[in-house]
Amino acid sequence: MITVSHLTKTFPGRVAVNDLSFEVGHSEVVGFLGPNGSGKTTTMRILAGYLPASAGVVKVAGFDVARHPLEVRKRIGYLPENCPLYPDMRVDEYLRFRAALKGVPRPRRRERIAEVKELCGLTDSGGRIIGQLSKGYRQRVGLAETLVHDPELLILDEPTIGLDPNQIRQVRQLIHELGRRHTILLSTHILSEVEATCRRVLIIKQGRIVAADATDRLLRHMKGMARITAEIKAPRDLLAAELGTWPDLTDLAIETDGEWLRLSFHCPRAQDPRSRLFTWIASRGWLLRDLHLEAGTLEDLFVSLTNDAPAALREPGS
Amino acid sequence: MNAFLVLWRREMTGYFYSPVAYASLTFFLLVMGMTFYFLASVLADGVPGIGVMNLMFGSPFYWMTQMVVVPLLTMRLFAEERRTGTLETLLTAPVSDAAVVGAKFAGVYSFYLVMWMPTLLFLAVLHGLSAEIPPFDPGAVAGGYIGAALTGALFLAIGLVCSLTTSNQIIAAITCFALMILFFFSGFLEFISFHPAAVAVADYLSPHRHMIEFSRGAIDSRAVVFYLGATYFFLFSATRILESRHWK
Repeated sequence: MITVSHLTKTFPGRVAVNDLSFEVGHSEVVGFLGPNGSGKTTTMRILAGYLPASAGVVKVAGFDVARHPLEVRKRIGYLPENCPLYPDMRVDEYLRFRAALKGVPRPRRRERIAEVKELCGLTDSGGRIIGQLSKGYRQRVGLAETLVHDPELLILDEPTIGLDPNQIRQVRQLIHELGRRHTILLSTHILSEVEATCRRVLIIKQGRIVAADATDRLLRHMKGMARITAEIKAPRDLLAAELGTWPDLTDLAIETDGEWLRLSFHCPRAQDPRSRLFTWIASRGWLLRDLHLEAGTLEDLFVSLTNDAPAALREPGS
Repeated sequence: MNAFLVLWRREMTGYFYSPVAYASLTFFLLVMGMTFYFLASVLADGVPGIGVMNLMFGSPFYWMTQMVVVPLLTMRLFAEERRTGTLETLLTAPVSDAAVVGAKFAGVYSFYLVMWMPTLLFLAVLHGLSAEIPPFDPGAVAGGYIGAALTGALFLAIGLVCSLTTSNQIIAAITCFALMILFFFSGFLEFISFHPAAVAVADYLSPHRHMIEFSRGAIDSRAVVFYLGATYFFLFSATRILESRHWK
């Protein structure tokens, strides 16, 4: 459905997207993750045909976005970041306008608008003025608008930003249902959302892909990783020097909490280092008040890949 | 084509919901009403040798309305969409850039033409009150309105380009006003320089002189070509500006 090959986008003085390549198949729901400013929005704008690529080829449903922009736009529903709408229009009026603009045939328009309103929980809000709606309702209007012409591909740039937990759950449910018939590329910062809705995950950092794999495979990989947390009363430099020599230990972080040091790191779960850590601390006569192990989550993966701390977790799944 | 019609309708109806449009309309009718009052009193005094339509379309009041109304009507066209971000949803809908520019222009131009409609009443009143029949020449009436349609088209196209280059409506309005003033006074170049070239340029460009000619009922094809060509040029530029985001 989407083929991106060697996509690069430069703005004056800045490379936003750097030699990005990925594919999204039919009816796939793909989570597009990355820290702020990593090039997610730029990539999505290029896919939607709003911005041109500086280099590389982007194809949607077999059409080159640069050569056949109108064919591509007919097939996608794009929800930009912050969900821009006309504040002076009523919900129904806006949906009718956009449906007509997107070429929904007149006899089907009424029915189609009723469907998307139902889907997005707007059935009773048709007469309300958009400018007076709450953020959550505006987000629903935006989502209804992207769906109104029944596009093959949905590109959603942070669709749940600014929503309350109930609304997030509803949107997640909605995306889950839509994923049965549509291809969806979704960017978000809420990782539990990705775990729940996306079959595949792309993580980008500074315009490059740092991880791309099936969500469950990444999760399985992460479950094989463990995060160890401990609180120790010990001289910081001695502790750091010793731990620095331990193999298979990554993302070491030491924080100070009064006299105590709170320490955390990742390591393969099979080599549970807790007893070794305990004996070592006891042999030095230091104090230990907490020591536990947690299975890794997608969040751990995200942090270890996109944080600037050295990461040994590159190429997961390989 | 369908998308063009949808956008045109939305643009035009948008004006009827907008307070700025009603304020412009009120101002316009007020000033034109005043013009009509002067016109009627000149006629009552029986000053000979003055074309009635000249008083309506060749007066400074006519230019005053244009200079105020055009920036007010065009400033929001693109600037507002850029500010609120809806330009992104508009330009990612299956519509060509040319259709977007065309529809925006058609929308504001339709409103402009509708704005002139009530002034036809002035003529009806004049016709009804006057003992002489007819008090004005139908050719001159047609010429005056054609002139208003032509100069309006060009000025609105200039305003559209101004609105496209900024996300601030005030800046769009002021730029448009400045360009209109510049164009208007280029017609008076001969007062600054007596060089034959300057006089020729002023003669060709002067919108004021064009309007006086039009409202005599003399429709000069050179002027018609000039206004249509220049309008097309500005709309074409607008399309290119919109497309320029795609230039690498």
